[in-house]
Amino acid sequence: MSAVDAPPAGRRFGAGPARPVSGRGPAPARRTGTTSDLHRRERRWAAAFIAPVVLGFVLFAVLPFCFSLYAAFTNWNGLSAPTFTGLENFRLMMADDYFWQALWNTLFLMIGIPIGLSISLVLAMAMNRRMPGRSVFRVIYYLPVVTSLAAISILWQWAFNGDFGLINQGLALIGIDGPNWLQEASTSKPALVLMMVWKGLGFSMLLYLAALQSVPRSLYEAAELDGAGAWGTFRHITFPMLRPVTFFLVVTNIIGGSQVFTEVNIMTPNGGPEFSTATIVWYIWQKGFQNLQLGYATAMSLVLGLLVFVITLIQFRLNARNSFSVE
Amino acid sequence: MSRHSSYRLTNILVAILLGLGSVLMLAPLVWMISTSLKTMEGVFELPPQWIPDPFVWSNYARIWEAGPLLSGIRNSVIVSLTVTIVGTVTSSLAAFAFSKLRLPGKNGIFLAILGGMMIPFPALMIPTFILFAHIGWVDTLLPLIVPGLLGNIMMVFFLRQYLHNVPDSLVEAALLDGASYPQIFWRLIFPLIRPAIAAQFILWFMAVWNDYLGPIIYLNSENVQTLQLVIANFNATYAIQTDYPLIMAASLVALLPVLAVFLIFQRQIIESIALTGSKG
Amino acid sequence: MQRRSFLAGTAAAAGLATAGCGNLATSDPNTLTFMFRGGLDERAAYTEAIAEFERQNDVTVNVVVTDGDQYDTKLQAAILGQKTPDVFYFDSGKLKAYAINDVLQDMSPYLESAGTAVDELWPLAVDLYRFDGEVQGQGSAIYGLPKDIGPFSFGYNRTMFEEAGLALPDPELPYSWDEFTEICQELTQDRDGDGALDQWGTGLNVTWNLQALVWSNGGDWSDESVTTVTVDTPEFAEALQFFADLQNVHQVTPSIAESQTMDTYQRWMRGQIGFFPVAPWDLSTYRDLDFEWDLIPYPAGSTGSPATWIGSLGIGVSSASRNPEMATRLAAFLSADPGTQELLVDAGIQIPNIRSTALEWAADDSFMPENKAEMIRIVEDYGRPLPGYNTYNAEWYTEFFTNIQPVLDGDQTAAEYCAWVQPRMQTRLDAANRQEQIDRGEFR
Repeated sequence: MSAVDAPPAGRRFGAGPARPVSGRGPAPARRTGTTSDLHRRERRWAAAFIAPVVLGFVLFAVLPFCFSLYAAFTNWNGLSAPTFTGLENFRLMMADDYFWQALWNTLFLMIGIPIGLSISLVLAMAMNRRMPGRSVFRVIYYLPVVTSLAAISILWQWAFNGDFGLINQGLALIGIDGPNWLQEASTSKPALVLMMVWKGLGFSMLLYLAALQSVPRSLYEAAELDGAGAWGTFRHITFPMLRPVTFFLVVTNIIGGSQVFTEVNIMTPNGGPEFSTATIVWYIWQKGFQNLQLGYATAMSLVLGLLVFVITLIQFRLNARNSFSVE
Repeated sequence: MSRHSSYRLTNILVAILLGLGSVLMLAPLVWMISTSLKTMEGVFELPPQWIPDPFVWSNYARIWEAGPLLSGIRNSVIVSLTVTIVGTVTSSLAAFAFSKLRLPGKNGIFLAILGGMMIPFPALMIPTFILFAHIGWVDTLLPLIVPGLLGNIMMVFFLRQYLHNVPDSLVEAALLDGASYPQIFWRLIFPLIRPAIAAQFILWFMAVWNDYLGPIIYLNSENVQTLQLVIANFNATYAIQTDYPLIMAASLVALLPVLAVFLIFQRQIIESIALTGSKG
Repeated sequence: MQRRSFLAGTAAAAGLATAGCGNLATSDPNTLTFMFRGGLDERAAYTEAIAEFERQNDVTVNVVVTDGDQYDTKLQAAILGQKTPDVFYFDSGKLKAYAINDVLQDMSPYLESAGTAVDELWPLAVDLYRFDGEVQGQGSAIYGLPKDIGPFSFGYNRTMFEEAGLALPDPELPYSWDEFTEICQELTQDRDGDGALDQWGTGLNVTWNLQALVWSNGGDWSDESVTTVTVDTPEFAEALQFFADLQNVHQVTPSIAESQTMDTYQRWMRGQIGFFPVAPWDLSTYRDLDFEWDLIPYPAGSTGSPATWIGSLGIGVSSASRNPEMATRLAAFLSADPGTQELLVDAGIQIPNIRSTALEWAADDSFMPENKAEMIRIVEDYGRPLPGYNTYNAEWYTEFFTNIQPVLDGDQTAAEYCAWVQPRMQTRLDAANRQEQIDRGEFR
C-alpha cells in the first residue's frame, strides 16, 4: 500500500536520474579495498549503527526481563534480598480476587476498542467524500488525540461530576437524570470507556481515511460495472482493503489497552468505587510501590507481559492467514 | 434527480452529521476553557454558564504561583526534546543498517528486538526501577531520558518498512561513487525517509510529552516533576477546595503547547501520521 | 561525523539531565531532605518552621511535599529507589516493616543532644514509635517522633440546637445511640418549607466514624494479639447496622443523591448538619464557620463509654542519612520545639504535642471550640490508635471497607457482610503476620 499524499519514496526516486551522491566524494579510482575489506567495513558500520538500539534492548528489556523471571518466584519487599519461594506468588495470584477483578476491569475497558474502531471507520468513510470543510472536520476529530492524557483525565473527571458536570448537563437536556458516573461501581467503567473512545477516535479515523484514499478508484468502477450495491462494494472491496490497517489498529490498541493507568489513577484514585476501575497496571503499581510486595507485583507483571505477547501473537497469526498482503 | 445532485445532497447530510459530531468532540474542550475563566462559585451555577460571567482572567495569573508549573514545562521540554531528537537519529541509523547493510544475523537480532517490543513497559517497570535505583538515578530525569536515547523500536520498525521501498541499487551506486556509510545515510537515506521520520517523531514526541506513569514512579521532588505530574498534583491539591477554575487553567496550559504545534502544522502532521498506517 | 555529533548530543543531554536532579539527590551532609505531606495550610506552616530551623542551625533543608493520597507510594518509591529522605513522615503502621528492614534509624542515641526536650511530649504519642525488635510500643529504641497527635473528635452545631430549641448536649456525658437518633430526627428538617429537606442530624463517613461506634459497643477489628479478625461478632455487626440505619432507616443523614450534590463535609460547613466529626487538622478551616459549634464525646453503644481513634504520623530519620544527628535534630525541632509547636497550633492544623502546652491550650476560652478539653480526654483517657497500626501492613484492615457500599445502601445486612468479609480479612492478616516473620528471619 502506498501513502496518501506522498508518493512512494521508491517511485519518487526512481522517476528521476539517480542523484549523484556527492560531487566531493572520493573518486572511484582511489578505492583499492578488496571485496572482503569492503564487507568488513560494511559490517563494522552496520554494527555501529545498530549498537545503540541493541544496547537499549539488552539494558532495558532483556536485563529487566531476566530479573523479572527470577523475582517473580521470590518473596521480595525491595528492602532486603529476595528469598526464593517457588510458585507461591502465582498461587497467591490465583486466589487473589483483586487480581482477577483488575484483569476483568482491564478487559472491560477494552470494549472501547471495537466501539472506537467502528465509529472511526464510519467517520473516515464520511470524510472520504469530496465535500467542502472536510479538512476542518479532520482537524476537529483529531484534536483530542494530541491533548495530554493527564489534562484530559482531569477535565473528564470534572465533566463526569454528578451535578455540575458537562455530561449530566447534556443528558438533562434530553430529560435523562445522569448518575454520579465515577462514584458508582456500575457506571465508572463505562464512563472511562466513553472518555477513551472520545480521545482515541481521531487517530484510527485518520489511518482509516488514509487507507480508504489509497484504494484504487478502478476497483470501485469495476464493482459498479458489475452492478454491486453499496453494501457489496463495502464488503468485497473496501473492507478487505482496510484489513491491514485494522490489524495494525487492533494490535496497537490492545497493547495500549493492557497498559491503562493514567486515566484511572487520576480520575478514580484508590482503584475507584469498590475497586471497579483498578486496572492490572494500577494494581501492579500499588502492590509494588505501596504494599512492599515487589515479588508478587513482578509475578503479576510477568503474567501481564505474557498475556499481551500471546494476544499479539494470535493477532499476527490470524492476520497472516487472512490478509492478502501487508506490505 | 441527477447523480451529481444526489451526491451533493448526501454531502450536505453527511456534513450536518459530522457537524453534530464535531460539537460533541469539541464540547469538553470548550467547556474546559469556559470553566478556566469562571469564578469558583460560577462553576457551581445551575443551569451552567457557557460564557463565564464575569471573565476571570486572573485564574491564568494565579496558576504560576500555585505550583511548579514553569519548572514542569521546562522539565517536560528537556525530556521530550532530548529523547526524540537523539532517539530519532539512533533509530533511523539502526533502521538504515537493518534494512540496507549486510550483517550476519541482523534479521535474527531484529526479530528479537521486535519481540521485545511486545513486552509492555509496565511489565518491566519494577526491575527497571530497581536498576535505576542501584545507579542512583531515582528522582532525576535520567531514567526518563536515557532509555529513549538508545532508540525506539517502533520507529526502527516503521522506518525499516519504509526503507524497503528504496532500491538497494541506490546504496550500491553511492558506494561505488565512494561515499562512506554515514554520508550515504545523511545525504541519501535521511532525505528520502524524512516524511516517515516526521510522522514517527511527532507521535513519539507526543507520547513522551504526555507520559505519566514513568514520571510518577521516578520523580518525587517538585523541581524535577514533569508537566503532567505537576497538573495531576494541582488536581489533587485544589480539588479539595473545589478550585476548578484553577485546575482547568493549569490543565489547559499543559495541553496548549502540543495543541498549538498541532494546529499550526496540522496539514503536515495529519499527512505524515496517515503514512504510519499505510505502512503498517 | 554522524557518530561524533550523536555522542556530543548524548553528552549534552546527560549534562542537561544532571542539572535536572531532584531534591532527594544530595550528598552534602549540611543539606537535609525532608519529605512530608499536607494541604496548603500545612505546607505554609511547615515551610515557615523549616526556614526557622535552617536559620538556627545553618543548614539547608530541601523539602519534598505531596498531597495525602500519593504520599505513601511516593515515599515507598523513594525508599526503594535508595533515595530515602533524611527526615520523613511515616505511618505508624509501617514502623515495624521499616525498623526491621533497616529503613528507619533508632533516634534515641541522638535525642540527648538534639536540643529539644522530647520528654515533654505526650508519653503515649512517643510510645507509639518505640520498638524493641519484637513488640511495637516497648523498649528504649525510638524510631520516630510524633508529628502530631490527632484525637478524632465529634462536634455539633450549637446554633442549630438553639434555633431548634433543643437542650445542649452534655460536654462530657455521651448520648446513648437511641438518644442520638432521636435528636438527629428532631434536627432533620425542611426549614425553608420547599418540600425538600435542607437540614440533617448528621452525615458520617464509614471509614473514619465506624470505629467510635464499634469500640463503644464492645466490638473490635481484631483480638488483642492481632492474630484473629473479629469483625464477625454480634457487637460489631450491631454497630455497623446502626451506622447504616442512620441513613436508611432513620433517614437523619442526607440521602445518597443529596450527598452527591454536595458532600456532608461541605454541608456541615454551610450549617446544614447537626453532628459532624472534628479533627485537629480541621481547626483552621472550621475557624471561618459562621455558626457556633462545640465538641462532645461520640454517642456510646452498649458499653456506655465513648470511644474514638487518635491519629498520629511519625517523623522518622533514615538509617542511610549522612547526618543522623542533624536529622534527629530536625525531627525533634518539628515535633517538640515550643516555638514550632506554637506556630503549628496557631495555624490550626494540630493540637500541641507538648502536654503542658496542650493543657494550657485547652483551658483557653478565647476561641472555639469551647470544650477543647474533650480532645485532651481522648488523648489521655479513651482514644486508641486505628486498627492496623501495629500490624506489618494494614491491608487486612482496609479490606473491610473496600466492599462495604451495599451495607451502606441498605442492600445487605451488616451481619451478612461481616460474616462474608471476615475470612477475606483473616487471609490478609495472616499474610501480613507471615511476612513479618519472614522479614524478621532475615533481620537476625
